[in-house]
Amino acid sequence: MNMQAPLALDAATEASVAPDQIALPGRASIARRLMRDKAAALAAVFLSAVALAAIFAPFVAPYDPYYTDLSKAMQAPSAAHWFGTDTAGRDVLSRVIYGARNTLTIGLIGVIVGGLLGGFLGILAAYFKKLDGWIMRIVDIMLAFPAILLGLAVAAIAGAGLTAVIIAVVVATIPDVARVARGAAIGVMGQEFMEAGRAVGVSDTVLIWRYLTLNCISTIFVFLTLRFGQIILIGSALSFLGLGAQPPTAELGMMASQGRDFLFISEHIAIIPSLVIFLIVLAANILGDAFRDVLDPRLQQ
Amino acid sequence: MGRQILHRLLISLPALLGVLFLCFCLMQVVPADPAAIIAGPDAKAETIAAIRLELGLDRPIIVQFAEYIWRVAHFDLGRSIISNKMVIEEIASTMGPTLELMIAGLMMAIPTGMALGTIAAVKRGTWIDRAIMAVAVAGVSMPIFFIGLILIQYVGYKWALLPFLGRAGPVWDGGLPNLILPAFTLGSVLIGPIARLTRTAVLEVLGADYVRTARAKGLRERIVIVHHALRNALIPVVTLIGLQAAFLLGGAVVTETMFSWPGVGRLAVGAIISSDFPTAQGAIMILAMAFLMINLLVDVLYVYLDPRVARQ
Repeated sequence: MNMQAPLALDAATEASVAPDQIALPGRASIARRLMRDKAAALAAVFLSAVALAAIFAPFVAPYDPYYTDLSKAMQAPSAAHWFGTDTAGRDVLSRVIYGARNTLTIGLIGVIVGGLLGGFLGILAAYFKKLDGWIMRIVDIMLAFPAILLGLAVAAIAGAGLTAVIIAVVVATIPDVARVARGAAIGVMGQEFMEAGRAVGVSDTVLIWRYLTLNCISTIFVFLTLRFGQIILIGSALSFLGLGAQPPTAELGMMASQGRDFLFISEHIAIIPSLVIFLIVLAANILGDAFRDVLDPRLQQ
Repeated sequence: MGRQILHRLLISLPALLGVLFLCFCLMQVVPADPAAIIAGPDAKAETIAAIRLELGLDRPIIVQFAEYIWRVAHFDLGRSIISNKMVIEEIASTMGPTLELMIAGLMMAIPTGMALGTIAAVKRGTWIDRAIMAVAVAGVSMPIFFIGLILIQYVGYKWALLPFLGRAGPVWDGGLPNLILPAFTLGSVLIGPIARLTRTAVLEVLGADYVRTARAKGLRERIVIVHHALRNALIPVVTLIGLQAAFLLGGAVVTETMFSWPGVGRLAVGAIISSDFPTAQGAIMILAMAFLMINLLVDVLYVYLDPRVARQ
């Protein structure tokens, strides 16, 4: 199954554009090429805005996200409350901003911790042939537990909460990253500079870090950016099921879940947080696709 | 082909053991002492100790694990703490609806996704292609409960076109209307990925020699696409469904909870929230096994669709 044909074509046309673009892309050039893609630029701007709002939530949010005022419960969006109020009269916009904070944190921790552990395992498996069979067998067993099931299992053991969701997304990310990292690392292992490094007596540690890891990093990075949105979807689904963040904590999936009970009375309470999750994931996916095209055209699916 | 399947079965054994071991651990690390739970809050220490002995909780972990496998092999998953029914009975009654929902979801997603992908490939580069691909990316980014909420709110509640609460029996016995919205919700997660992959696969196949031959023979474009291109594009799509089985399963858990669909996923979520450990453990185990089975099935189907795989 060769699905790279159309991409290889793209690469060929790109290479024939201008000689200065054949040179390895520097950081500035990557940013410039990303920005040329209008959808990716828009996605980047949107994600940055959401991230900034989440980081500076206490300064950005117009109201206290936990301040309840039952006399103002379930108001439709208005000038005073742009996203309306929820069942306890709390300002939905403020809760969405704080909620995005928790939701993005889940995604980031999943990507960073899961990516580090998985990348480490995959690279070790590729470098030490003796470990390969064992590591990949463990990875296969981990793959037998899809993320949502892991979430259910962790919540059953540790009790529902943000911790359960974070453990679930981290553990779910490890095997996939390990596979991608191993694949990339095996490719690098076949390169001559690895053999040359070993021939001149470079130590295993240096070979792994300086030679192997640095050459796999862009592939892993692209995979993780594509993975970020999925992690957010899984995390918010777990929260939606009531297994993640517990009330009154603001988390987008949980807010959608709470709003669900009052869907027929005032739909904005459930719809707005869901829509925000959708937009965040959409932006992350568009950006991930663009990163892939720029950094690593071979990594598809 | 038989050998291939046997080999695949053998490979999945360690994974099966892994699933069993994790579910077994689930019981071990649960904060509460199972003996104390069964004995009740006012039990004396010696009662708890007696129950402990009876349950075999004093024996080495490895022996307990072996016994656990023995019990699972005999469909003994314990009793629900809440309803006091046998867990296996609870699971047996929920498996049908879950299977029904998944099959209906796939039956919705596969034809739609493949049709969209094929149209996009045939109309490559036009606005139709771009629109379909935009929809596909949006579909991949959509939280499944968002689609469910919108369908419930509009199709179910405001326009009152279809029922959205619970299951009304088997499809052949008036259960179809209740199945449509949940199936659509579940299937929607898969349409995007299937459409994207079909487009890539069809584009690739359209450039193949045998497609040119078919065209040169003067076959109608429709036949070329449906019989020559699509049939071969089916192979990557089947693989994809294997890869997406995790989404299918996770989606089923959310969908069942939203639509009060009496399936295994809803059973598991309810059991966890009410701290019904035996039921939660059993339901999670069944779901994990179902996941293994789906992957096995996909591999077998793969051999059937692409006989070259068997010869390798």
